[in-house]
Amino acid sequence: MDRRELLKMVAAATGGVVIGGEFFLAGCKNPEAGTTGKDFTDSDIAFFDEVAETIFPKTSTPGAKEAKVGQFMTVMVNDCYTKENQKAFREGQAAINAACKKMHGHDFMKAAPEHKKAVLVSLDPEVKEHQAKRKEFIKEQDDLEKKAQANGDTDFKRKTMPDHYFTMMKQLTILGYFTSKEGRTGATRYEPVPGKYIGDLDYKKGDKVFTNLN
Amino acid sequence: MADNNTFDAIVVGSGISGGWAAKELTERGLNTIMLERGFDIKHGKDYEATNRPVWEYPHRGGKTQQMIADYPHLKRDYPLNERNLHYWASDKDNPYAETKRFDWFRGYHVGGRSLMWGRQSYRWSEIDFKANEKDGIAIPWPISYKDIEPWYTHVEKFAGIQGSYENLPQLPDSHFLPAMELNVVEKDVAAKIKAHYNNKRTLIIGRTAHVTGPLGHSPQRTNCQYRDMCWNGCPFGAYFSTQSSTLPAAMATGKLTLGINSIVKEIIYDKDTKMAKGVRIIDAETNQTKDYFSKIVFLCASALNSAWILMNSATDIWPDGLGSSSGELGHNVMDHHFRVGASGEVEGYEDKYYFGHRPTGFYIPRFRNLGDEKRDYLRGFGYQGSASRNGWGREVAELSIGAELKDALSEPGGWRVGATAFGETLPHHDNKITLDKDMKDKWGLPVLNFDVEFKENEKKMRVDMKADMKEMLEIAGAKNVRDYDNDNAPGMGIHEMGPARMGRDAKTSVLNSNNQVWDCKNVFVTDGACMVSAACVNPSLTYMALTARAAAFAVEELKKMNV
Repeated sequence: MDRRELLKMVAAATGGVVIGGEFFLAGCKNPEAGTTGKDFTDSDIAFFDEVAETIFPKTSTPGAKEAKVGQFMTVMVNDCYTKENQKAFREGQAAINAACKKMHGHDFMKAAPEHKKAVLVSLDPEVKEHQAKRKEFIKEQDDLEKKAQANGDTDFKRKTMPDHYFTMMKQLTILGYFTSKEGRTGATRYEPVPGKYIGDLDYKKGDKVFTNLN
Repeated sequence: MADNNTFDAIVVGSGISGGWAAKELTERGLNTIMLERGFDIKHGKDYEATNRPVWEYPHRGGKTQQMIADYPHLKRDYPLNERNLHYWASDKDNPYAETKRFDWFRGYHVGGRSLMWGRQSYRWSEIDFKANEKDGIAIPWPISYKDIEPWYTHVEKFAGIQGSYENLPQLPDSHFLPAMELNVVEKDVAAKIKAHYNNKRTLIIGRTAHVTGPLGHSPQRTNCQYRDMCWNGCPFGAYFSTQSSTLPAAMATGKLTLGINSIVKEIIYDKDTKMAKGVRIIDAETNQTKDYFSKIVFLCASALNSAWILMNSATDIWPDGLGSSSGELGHNVMDHHFRVGASGEVEGYEDKYYFGHRPTGFYIPRFRNLGDEKRDYLRGFGYQGSASRNGWGREVAELSIGAELKDALSEPGGWRVGATAFGETLPHHDNKITLDKDMKDKWGLPVLNFDVEFKENEKKMRVDMKADMKEMLEIAGAKNVRDYDNDNAPGMGIHEMGPARMGRDAKTSVLNSNNQVWDCKNVFVTDGACMVSAACVNPSLTYMALTARAAAFAVEELKKMNV
């Protein structure tokens, strides 16, 4: 009774479900938070499309905008994220605009593609620092929770810390792109019915990853 | 021919065990009704998501906050998902109480969890059937390997089990269809483990109930297409389920009636004859009560629900229910413990890949506490794992964003290999389920209260479960090997066993050696409820064999007028 065995071993063996599973599920961890915030507007979606396209631009393979990643982000944030992560994600929009203004003197939407990229790349140190802190924070909460359990303290409530907004945007871009029709069929070798298994196949650098219906 | 509520046999439940009971009883000539508490799912036609690509799911298969709120138990692990959510029973309609945490993941529909199972199929060995007796734990099994061996053969030839012949005493070979293939890295790891441990440890293909070669008796089933979509139901019938395999066989006899939406609430017990007359059901949709009558009853409602039905039956004679005279009904609940192991990176195979999505991984059979070895715990564990190249979900540390990142993630990453241990749990009288005093389900029926925990033996075993995998991966040359113990709650393994155990003595067991309830000989329990110990291998194949064996016995007993 365990296709979990398969999932788990893929998880254990590849780390390959981190985005599709652990990350955005991590965004869903607190059952009491969540429910939808205010609706995103078309201009919000256009903004997220631009962020996504900057992360995954169109090349010889489709870009994130073509894969409607902006729209996908809003669905995921509305339906799957905790309130806290929803808030952080929304504040990210203003933060990106502020960073762009500082760097280029105008809003993100008005920036040229290379300027957009420079803005998002400039977030990197702050993102890394935030996520490292968050990891520490979660570990602390784990320890506190264990201690509370050991002491029979049933009143203990975990505290949470939101992800960095750009981590969410980047993860949702990767997830949204590679699970979209455009990304799967355009950027990977999509094989819904392989018909056979070959366990020893020659591979050369540049050959695309195989994907399936899942 | 039977009228509309009288049959030769009633089978309660339509999962792996119920499907086998229905097939064996009808093929032996009994007019049989199979009662399923949930809705119907027709083979092929009702596997609505079987060809659905991930992009057609709004949340790409994940879970929403609403789902989390609606499924307070299911949310605790992977089953809460968007792909096959309707295959998992509603926590809202079917609540249960937890004196201690128990993760109970149920499938209430025709086919039960045979639709969603992991398909891993392993024989038990004589070592397993003798373990309780040798260790002085709980009670001995009333049967030995040689009693069940012909029945393993019987069910394997019909279900179709792929695997490799290994001739291992602790993991007897089945009758195999051609084995699925280990990939190039797994073969390398296998060779290195074998050499280092002098053949004492082996890495083999995970044995599963998938069709990989001719299965003449079941032309409706064709070979696995390596889509890895098993979980949504397979239109090729490539994996064993009630729908793909036993149900068509039972239907072909013309002797099977399928009753859906039929929640069996109790067995109707006749105190004069000391036999069951039939069962009483509640229609899940109309709430109407209806009685069915039969000469024999097979309880195959899943381990905990079969026990629940017994607890709700004949309470005027035995307050704790039919089969409770030994004081063991509802006790000795077991599962497997897991979520502990290791994984690492593999170098040197950058020019190798694989094609197809193989629906199994590798298996490392038990190697601890065999022969003269004595660890500081009893029994052992096996590993399930795989080697694969990283997918698009991996981190690419040196690339933040842009075309380079997209291109890099469009190619497979480096190889990883890892495995998770599945360990045997011991039966304990105080690991028990009872009827809760207050809580009721949607139909006003009492629900189970769980008081089950893993104990010292399991905790000690986990030390080896973690360390042994790390050591084997390092010996195989893996780099940056990380071990982990993600802890687990009972039930999470979805291998519930034990609450109506078999035995040699009516004073210490619920069932005899033929799965008959000691206190009511025309009631048979053949699902996980009957298990006396847990072994460390996946249990479903053993339920199939025990069910077929008990069904053959029951028909003989009917002929002899003994039941």
